[in-house]
Amino acid sequence: MKKVTAFKSVLWTILGLALAAGVTRMIFGLGAITNQSDTTPWGLWKGFNVIPGIALAAGGFVVTAIIYVMRKHEYYRYAKIAVLMAFLGYLSAATALVVELGLPWMVWHPVVYWQHHSALFEVAWCVMLYLVVLFLEFVPVPLEETSRFAGVRRFLHKYKLILVVLGIMISTLHQSSLGTLFLITPEKLHPLWYTNLLPVLFFVSAIAVGPLMVILGVLTISAVYEKPLEREKLGKLALFSVGVLAVYALIRFIGLVAEGKLATMFVSSWQTLFFWIETALFVIIPILFLAVKQLRVSKAGLWVATISAVIGIGFNRANIAGIMLVRTGEIYIPTIFEIFISLGIISAAVLVFLFCVERFKMWETKWTDPRDRETAPPEFDRSSEAWLGSPRISHRFTFSFILIISLAFGFALISNERIHSEGIKEVPVKAARGGDTLYVDGNHDTFGVYFAHEDHIQREGKKESCVICHHMNLPMDESSPCSACHGNMYTEFDAFRHDWHSSPAGGNVGCMECHPEDQPRLAETAQSCEHCHKDLIPAGAEIEVDDYMAPSYTDAMHGVCVPCHETRAKQKEELKDLALCTSCHGFDHPEYLNKEIEMAFRDTSFNHVVLPFVGDLDKNREDMDD
Amino acid sequence: MKAILTDVTKCIGCLECVEACKEYNHLEVDVPRNWHRTDGLSAKNWTSILRKPENHYVRKQCRHCLEPACVSACPVGALEKTASGAVIYHGEKCIGCRYCMIACPYGIPRYDWESPVPYIRKCNLCFDKIRNGQKPACIEACPTQATIFGDRNELLTEAHRRIEAEPGKYIDRVYGEHEVGGTSVLYISDIDLGFLTYPVRKNTKPLPETTSTAMHAVPFAFTGMGALMGGIYWICKRREQLKQEKQQAKEDES
Ligand code: SF4
Ligand code: SF4
Ligand code: SF4
Repeated sequence: MKKVTAFKSVLWTILGLALAAGVTRMIFGLGAITNQSDTTPWGLWKGFNVIPGIALAAGGFVVTAIIYVMRKHEYYRYAKIAVLMAFLGYLSAATALVVELGLPWMVWHPVVYWQHHSALFEVAWCVMLYLVVLFLEFVPVPLEETSRFAGVRRFLHKYKLILVVLGIMISTLHQSSLGTLFLITPEKLHPLWYTNLLPVLFFVSAIAVGPLMVILGVLTISAVYEKPLEREKLGKLALFSVGVLAVYALIRFIGLVAEGKLATMFVSSWQTLFFWIETALFVIIPILFLAVKQLRVSKAGLWVATISAVIGIGFNRANIAGIMLVRTGEIYIPTIFEIFISLGIISAAVLVFLFCVERFKMWETKWTDPRDRETAPPEFDRSSEAWLGSPRISHRFTFSFILIISLAFGFALISNERIHSEGIKEVPVKAARGGDTLYVDGNHDTFGVYFAHEDHIQREGKKESCVICHHMNLPMDESSPCSACHGNMYTEFDAFRHDWHSSPAGGNVGCMECHPEDQPRLAETAQSCEHCHKDLIPAGAEIEVDDYMAPSYTDAMHGVCVPCHETRAKQKEELKDLALCTSCHGFDHPEYLNKEIEMAFRDTSFNHVVLPFVGDLDKNREDMDD
Repeated sequence: MKAILTDVTKCIGCLECVEACKEYNHLEVDVPRNWHRTDGLSAKNWTSILRKPENHYVRKQCRHCLEPACVSACPVGALEKTASGAVIYHGEKCIGCRYCMIACPYGIPRYDWESPVPYIRKCNLCFDKIRNGQKPACIEACPTQATIFGDRNELLTEAHRRIEAEPGKYIDRVYGEHEVGGTSVLYISDIDLGFLTYPVRKNTKPLPETTSTAMHAVPFAFTGMGALMGGIYWICKRREQLKQEKQQAKEDES
């Protein structure tokens, strides 16, 4: 039983991760977990769990039809398995739907609000009815374990045929109406998949895959529990599918030809590639492997054919319900949490399936027709005793432990940001027309800033404030740059480099270091420099600095130097030139400093101003006199 | 039936309609997730202005189709086409299946992705205003009369009149007159407005008709399948019986 335990451990792990994601989805909404969006409103859960899941549950109605209606009694052994697989298939699709629906607690609404023209209304009704039918078909199996409810069991046995036929009728509608769902999207679905025959194709392909899915289930049981296989019988059942698959391929081909899409099949595009992969997986490989007698009755052949067909039909449904559906050029990639939930639902179904196989007489044959006893191979006679296992769940502790650990791990994976962050839409400012938050990246270097547009409108005086930035009086008029207002932040030759200061302070987080919290973040409201830079003005300096707040480097220098120069110029006759601009600036380039003076200023690091003439002013003057 | 006519050549892209819509419908500030790239429409923006080259501004909103795909798709009738022309939404019926979003050819309905109790969101033609004989908020806000409100037939006449009056100026087509069965939000324009919808098909058949054949076949398929199964059962049973009888006869002979 080692193999089984390992297999189950994996399933329980996935289930734990899925539970964590599922709980988060229920509390915080779809956005917290999924990448579905307004352009891809249906994601992994519809395209992977619900729609393919229901196709794969088709084994229930096809195999019961073969057994009870066509009276092929040799397959009785697989009836219980087929019904259980269908039941679990539908249950898991319904579970996925509950996670998927925005308002899952309203799921019963189709019962009261009738909409005959909606394909989804039909789907909803069929799912509900068929779940009931499948339940009634399956419930005798667990009831066999107890002597109670014998009446119920006998009653259900008696009307088995009616249940089976009812199930077939509902399934017919249901499988085909899943195809009808997509008839309403002629301009969205890729032409290789869109056809008026969609309902027919969905129905026929479901019939084809039904028996193959049941065979896959039987193969799995035999592999996991190391049980012998009736390969001949399975091969014969698979042959039925081959016929239906051929019919499916024919209908699809005729449809494409009739709608003039033959050329589309050979256009080189990834869609065409997907079309051929799908066709190969669902039609070509299974037919090749099952048409040959030797392969059909070999274990490997059955495995390859069934897996290929199952993946193929899943791919087909996923293409129609998602990949090829909304062609907006946007790519939807499911989040890891969506994948967890998808796999988790499947894991749960498999776990229940294994439980039923171990606990109930799924493999046993006596419950329907005594004639089957004679045809049953002898090795199965003891089987129920040998491997049905003990009635209680084994390894309870191990599995609980695994579940709890993976649940915790799943919760740990969910980032707080994804749930709480007020995400921001990145609008290149050139393309922006209004909007609440714009991403402004003027230099196209991805170091943009988020501009709170709506916030500015509200703060600057609602509608009247538009003209502050948008001039709106000239054609092709451009908006004012941010620097028109936020000059202090952006002027390049600023004494104060805002960007340099904001980074060490922690980017936007550190604003409060200088700006009072409840006031606009402006130069006027900021702390003065010496608030932090205590050493900015050396001790003993004569310069009186009152709220050192120079708007620019030029202002800073002029503010610091000029008053002193002027004072000195007045004091001494020979120093009168000090008051002239040319005492610092050259004649030829008035915007530059004289070489010597500039060299004196070179002794700066960053923008911490070192004042070379402060300190002993008299000594400086003597130096200058020399 | 009421309708809106938008003249793209007259729109200056001032976004007054967008603001008026937000104000009237109490739509909050939109903070979309950065992986949602949209055309400006969202659960909190029911109309948006698309900026196209050479100063063309095209307003996007629900088209209020005459035969809306969304209404036909909704399994619970949460969407309804009213006699006034507006396609309105009854949140209390909605189950959140989002099939309407799949069905809409213009990609209009939006979803409250962030909310644990999400609803479908889209323009409702200010249904409570037009019911009282008022104009929708966006129409009232438009400073250039680029978008006007009125009876659909009158607006169609007006649209054709404008196109005929200045033949060189407009594309000779009233967008929304025929597409997918016609819409209550019409456009005339000097640029092609094909981008407003998914690749348009040649035919202008209303979308609900695409599913109606299949939906009409439902009762027949249902009963037909039942009869077929009954027939097959009867044949198989009969065959077995005949076989048994033959065997019986053989045994009797021997
Ligand atoms: S544009 Fe879309 S949402 Fe609006 S009425 Fe038409 S189908 Fe419905
Ligand atoms: S999401 Fe709501 S309104 Fe849209 S189709 Fe589903 S139930 Fe109807
Ligand atoms: S008609 Fe009303 S709801 Fe629709 S876009 Fe205009 S303001 Fe918004």
